[in-house]
Amino acid sequence: MQVHIQNLRVSYLEENHSLLALDRLDLTLHPGRITAMVGESGCGKTTLGKAIMGLLPDNARLRGQILLDRDNVPDLDEARMNTLRWSTAAMVFQNGTATFNPVHRLVDQVAEPLVLKGTPRKKAMAKAVDMLAHMGLAPEMARRYPHELSGGQAQRGLLAMALILDPPLVILDEPTAALDAMTKAFIARVIQDLRVRGKTILLITHDLDLAQALADDIVVLYLGQIMEHLPGRDLLENPSHPYTLALARAFPAMDAVRDLGGIRGDAFYRMVHAHAGESGTDHVHTHVAAPDSFHQGGHAPPRGCLFQPRCTQAVEACTRDEIAIMPSGDHQVRCLRGGIAQLLCFEQVAKSYGPIKALAPTDLTLMAGEVFCLVGETGSGKTTLAMIAAAAIIPDQGKRIFQGRDMDIWVKKEFTSLAPKIGVIYQNPAESVSHRFTVFDIVAEPLRIHKMETRTEKIHSRVLRALSDVRLSTAPEFLQRYPHELNMGAIQRVCLARALVHDPDLLIADEPTSALDPSVQAKVLKMLLGLQIEKGLTMLFVTHNIGLARKVADRIGVMVDGRIIETGPAARIINHPGHQYTKMLINSARGLSDTPQGMSQVYR
Amino acid sequence: MRTRQHKWSRPVFAYLAAALILVYLSYLLPQLLPGDFVTAMYAGADVSLNALQEAELKAYFLDNQTFGEYLGNLVRLDWGYSAAFFAPVSTLFFAALPWTIVLMGTAHILSSFLGFFLGVEAAWRRGSLVEKSGVGTMTVLEGIPEICTGALLLLVFSLHLGWFPAAGAQTAYAEQTTFQWVLDVLHHLTLPLITLVAAYFPGNFLLARAGMVMVLKKQFVLTAKAKGLPPGRVRYAHAARNALLPLVTRFGLRFAFMVTGALVVETIFSYPGLGTLLFNAISMRDLPLIQGIVLFASLMVLVVNLCMEWVYTLLDPRVSHAS
Amino acid sequence: MHLDAGPRIKKDPWFIIGSTLLVLVFFGAFIGPLLVPWDPHDTGFVPLSPPSAHHWLGINDGGMDILSELLWGLRNTVVFGLIAAIAGLILGGGIGLVSAWMGGWIDQFFMRLADIVLAIPAVMILILLAAFFRPPSAVLALTLAALTWPTTARGIRAQALTLKNSLHITAARRMGGSNRYVIFRHLMPELFPLYLINFAAKIRMAVFMEASLAFLGLFDPAQKSLGLMISYALKYYYLDIWANWLVPPILLLSLLIMGATFLTISLEKIFDPRLQESV
Repeated sequence: MQVHIQNLRVSYLEENHSLLALDRLDLTLHPGRITAMVGESGCGKTTLGKAIMGLLPDNARLRGQILLDRDNVPDLDEARMNTLRWSTAAMVFQNGTATFNPVHRLVDQVAEPLVLKGTPRKKAMAKAVDMLAHMGLAPEMARRYPHELSGGQAQRGLLAMALILDPPLVILDEPTAALDAMTKAFIARVIQDLRVRGKTILLITHDLDLAQALADDIVVLYLGQIMEHLPGRDLLENPSHPYTLALARAFPAMDAVRDLGGIRGDAFYRMVHAHAGESGTDHVHTHVAAPDSFHQGGHAPPRGCLFQPRCTQAVEACTRDEIAIMPSGDHQVRCLRGGIAQLLCFEQVAKSYGPIKALAPTDLTLMAGEVFCLVGETGSGKTTLAMIAAAAIIPDQGKRIFQGRDMDIWVKKEFTSLAPKIGVIYQNPAESVSHRFTVFDIVAEPLRIHKMETRTEKIHSRVLRALSDVRLSTAPEFLQRYPHELNMGAIQRVCLARALVHDPDLLIADEPTSALDPSVQAKVLKMLLGLQIEKGLTMLFVTHNIGLARKVADRIGVMVDGRIIETGPAARIINHPGHQYTKMLINSARGLSDTPQGMSQVYR
Repeated sequence: MRTRQHKWSRPVFAYLAAALILVYLSYLLPQLLPGDFVTAMYAGADVSLNALQEAELKAYFLDNQTFGEYLGNLVRLDWGYSAAFFAPVSTLFFAALPWTIVLMGTAHILSSFLGFFLGVEAAWRRGSLVEKSGVGTMTVLEGIPEICTGALLLLVFSLHLGWFPAAGAQTAYAEQTTFQWVLDVLHHLTLPLITLVAAYFPGNFLLARAGMVMVLKKQFVLTAKAKGLPPGRVRYAHAARNALLPLVTRFGLRFAFMVTGALVVETIFSYPGLGTLLFNAISMRDLPLIQGIVLFASLMVLVVNLCMEWVYTLLDPRVSHAS
Repeated sequence: MHLDAGPRIKKDPWFIIGSTLLVLVFFGAFIGPLLVPWDPHDTGFVPLSPPSAHHWLGINDGGMDILSELLWGLRNTVVFGLIAAIAGLILGGGIGLVSAWMGGWIDQFFMRLADIVLAIPAVMILILLAAFFRPPSAVLALTLAALTWPTTARGIRAQALTLKNSLHITAARRMGGSNRYVIFRHLMPELFPLYLINFAAKIRMAVFMEASLAFLGLFDPAQKSLGLMISYALKYYYLDIWANWLVPPILLLSLLIMGATFLTISLEKIFDPRLQESV
């Protein structure tokens, strides 16, 4: 059975406005394929499942087409739809036990559709018992009432009930939520088996691991719009849309290594409503609002990309026009910038100091909004690479592209417009600040240098904001302190405030925590990552400590002797390192073998 | 298993205790009367006693029987002697009981089924004009006590229009075939029955509707719809079955109050049931009769309530099957 | 419970009609007796005379002014209802709160007691008491309260238990709030809607009960009462007195019970989150 959804729009009417749950959705589900639908709560996932089943509540308004082969669900009358339900399309609802009627036995509820389609009662019961047994529920379980079942047993029962009429289309709504690992694995096997048998499967889930493991196609939904449509294997490793990346980063996958990131800002609902506009007449519009927030009149409807307020790479144009979904490789992405943008791109960049080759010709790409960790020993060239990225060192050869412009030309012609886009934190905080400067002057320095602000009070307020961002005091007496009066952690925070005061797009952090105590280091790192997410920074993080890299990186690049020998998603590098040197780094970090001192010689 | 025992023993224990308290009160109260009970009872009453009756009565009340003896007498149906009717209390009681059962039973069965069915259908059609006006009408009806409905119905339909008899349960001394007799009984039953149904039905309707509205929001109703079941089956086998539970609980609680209503309605229509008997006993200050009627009517209420508990466990597997 | 209950309840037609009815009836019950010119016990008029300029509703069989009788009867009925409802609420609310707050054997004791009391048909006890001792109606009202507290106690206890375990109460206790503080500042005010619902429901029940008992002739015949008036008026059905004698008490009684019913239903609808009408 092929399900063809075209231009589907669903909204829920409420008292004086309506919630837009799905917005012009196009999607095709194919037989023998699992399509997974992921997204935050309230993005419209469950609405789609109910819409396909024709089960939307009375206050839902539906436009567009849902073709189940030839039948268009919105056109069908209730009687015809009822003949399709369960025999053609069955759904496994979420939260198991509540889905069953508490006053009927499990087996009765499983057998019920069979009986009503005309199977003799005895035969139907026998078949239901078989089906339950197939799902791993013994016949004596079948005789139980729903409240006597555990969550896992209820979920198995639901699957049995959904499959009892052998429907060609199966919709699973959070089939593994709140289940133990064993049941989860069992259910995953059942779903795979269904795919082999040629069923069309829609899997609605929060569980990105499950989606990646099972799905052929994945649809990422945000505020009722498809943001990205991608092959299953790419979900965690190679997302194209900034939202997909953010979702993956927020998800506690089994093999994720970076600390949970979250997504900046809050998910909202989309409301459609009418109220008196400035001209005095009612105007109907949609806008995005936090749940339950009170609506003030006179605002503009949202324009441009829905994700833009939370996006790390939004540009001015993102707020202007509506964005269509566009193919990008084997993905489809709804993004003006064609998916996650390249912030910085090196092509064959190299640097030598006299006879010493600090950096062999190297390619490197930094994607907007990611944290890229360069890991390597002292002298491996990672600081050189970082400083080239910071436009502090001119490379001997190669090409640098920053935000789509040639960096070398940019540096020469318009350095003043480039410099504020990059912030740098250095290895040794105490040395990177002038001891003649007060805290205020240190932090204000970039603003003054780049002449970004001239009015004193503006400078003052930006400095204060930067200081409070890094959780430092903003008291006047603190502003007048000198660096030697501060401890190392505080100085590093001041440096960080200085690096961020001019709102850079790229933050280069060269061993920012190596001079700190482990306890202080943990605090500073946590704050740094929090700021990275809130401000949507792209970060190039240089460290010799792969254990640290594991905690912060989305991607890791491993450097030896001026070359990057391996790059990839942090999870893959840590769990399945491809290069011997990387393996050794990891093992040594785990204390399984000797320190890597000098070992780089072996792999030259 | 422990839970099951617990669930079962609790109501049974409560009902047993309540029954004991009732019996004890009925034993105790006459003894608390100040002075000579018989004189107190008949002073100013419009019954005159001959010496023999007075002696019998005094023997009955002044005989300081123990609680055990009292219990024994109750079980042997020796509930005393009614001076007003010159008959044993038990005889009077059992003569009146069938009529009360006919009236109350029919009224309850009718109003429960009707209330449940219409309440379920109303909830299903929530928001429609029919449902809204139905709820409105029922709310208003729920506010009219049966004294008022009964008095008005009596006034209009039997006294002014003369369509229905104003008193009794059957035409006395009439030569009738069985069929005619049944019609006659029904004819007499109509007005009190309508009064009682008008009093109970709105409550049942509103309760069933409210319960059903809540159940319809439950996930399992959506499941039932998704399974492609016919609407009638979704409504009754799945939703209404669950909405029935609060109805049964409330039924037991309301039952005692319903008895009062029945007493009043019987009196209004002079229907020869327990209510009229009690009314007459009260107006003649026939204390043994009052005592007997009250005690056994209360025990009947207890039995009905206990049955309701049992029905409840049948309806809801979560109560009877411990997990 | 629900912060938006205030404005919502003011918009509910049932609430408006119910409270208006109750206010009017209460007004009639408490102000009316002061305004009527005749003593309801004065038997010095011509029995069964029709309504006239002096006696708007005529005279009954005993030679008393029906209007005076009506308003005094209404007053007695309302007073009975108020006593029973207030006493029942205090008793039930108190026991419910104590049970929920203390827990343990106290809770067990009260709840088992509630089971038993709930099983006893209150009407029957009242009939027995009234028939044997002819106590003043206030005593009967208090007895009624003593027999009907369990419904209130159960409702209040259930809600108080939920509240007791709610976060803001736990927080208040952790901040060092004493039992007294938490009960009086948090529990009691938050349960306010429940008191209202119970109060309205109890008035309805008590008024109904009073009318029935009076109708059955269980009160002192000298005490005016709507039920007794209906009972007497029905005896004279063959005379053309129904419009001025039978219908007025029926109407007043119905309005009173209707007012309480509407109020109960409206309050339950607004405050029971499970009954919320919106999706």
